[in-house]
Amino acid sequence: MGLMEEALQMVSEDAEKHGLETIDKVSLIVGDLSNVLPDALRFAFDAFCKTGEIPRIGERAQLEIIRERGLARCALCGKEYEPSEYLALCPECDMPFGVIQSGETFKIESYEGS
Amino acid sequence: MKITLEKDVMENNDRAAEFNRQLFRQSKTLVINIMSSPGAGKTTILEKTAAALSGQFRIAVIEGDIATERDADRVRATGVRAVQIATEGECHLDPRMIAKVLPDINLEETDILFIENVGNLVCPSEFDLGQDHRIVVLSTPEGNDKIPKYPLMFHVTELALINKIDLLSYTSFDLEKAQEDLRGINPSSRIMPLSARTGEGFDDWLNWVKEAYQACQKR
Ligand SMILES: Nc1nc2c(ncn2[C@@H]2O[C@H](COP(=O)(O)OP(=O)(O)O)[C@@H](O)[C@H]2O)c(=O)[nH]1
Ligand SMILES: [Mg+2]
Ligand SMILES: [Zn+2]
Repeated sequence: MGLMEEALQMVSEDAEKHGLETIDKVSLIVGDLSNVLPDALRFAFDAFCKTGEIPRIGERAQLEIIRERGLARCALCGKEYEPSEYLALCPECDMPFGVIQSGETFKIESYEGS
Repeated sequence: MKITLEKDVMENNDRAAEFNRQLFRQSKTLVINIMSSPGAGKTTILEKTAAALSGQFRIAVIEGDIATERDADRVRATGVRAVQIATEGECHLDPRMIAKVLPDINLEETDILFIENVGNLVCPSEFDLGQDHRIVVLSTPEGNDKIPKYPLMFHVTELALINKIDLLSYTSFDLEKAQEDLRGINPSSRIMPLSARTGEGFDDWLNWVKEAYQACQKR
């Protein structure tokens, strides 16, 4: 709930600056390693759409979640791999502490309003 | 109209957390953010900790709660300073809420600041408050499955206090399994079993706090 509220407040404030009255769609980029759960975001988004407590976010607003895949590079053998949840272990040599190349993003890509 | 924003959602929080962190560094205050589900025993642990350490350290407590002042009153009864943040429905504390009450804390006069987060195993784990250490309290009646069910909480914390071990024989809680599950999520964390009621294991916790305080004076 907290993160979605944060994101929607940012969108709402930006929309106000642009003189928009309603937000039709919000597009977020969520990395696999960002510690943000897409399901939790969707749940929170629907809740905020219903309560209408965030200005300019109403019942008809849509949420788009763009996934960014996680990618780590092994510190030992240099292999690039998709790390599993919280432990980046190299599939080749079992070395932990893979250096994260991507997948930590959690940002607002864009929104549409009118 | 489509507007491209490309804005990091945590940007404001990260900046506010960094602001707090600078203030804590300047005053050499050790700051510990304590999280758990409601009822795990955070306030009880803080009452006992305050009572045990207030002769040696100047302690202050920030109590996060959705609505009431009750926990701050409980802590004040032990003689330490406590500030309540009523989050008014928010299920977590964020670094700006902390920054707003810091003037009431007087960091220069505070050796150790404990922050009791809102009871919830999800959202509080998403917000860096600028603290030195994040710890989680899990009580034995809650069951072992909370560790795999809320991995982020156990991933961002560095110590898991397993509270209410006086109730171990009435529950199916397995301490070894807890340590093992924790290792799979966060190899640099560990469990510390204790009972805030009987005091069993409590010295380990007090020693952990004292060591953390020493370490924070040297940085
Ligand atoms: N049996 C037992 N009860 C405890 C222990 N620690 C706390 N409690 C009880 O658990 C309940 C919730 O404690 P509280 O400190 O308010 O939890 P909080 O919501 O995490 O702050 C209270 O009734 C406490 O007396 C413990 O070690 N053993
Ligand atoms: Mg409490
Ligand atoms: Zn490798």
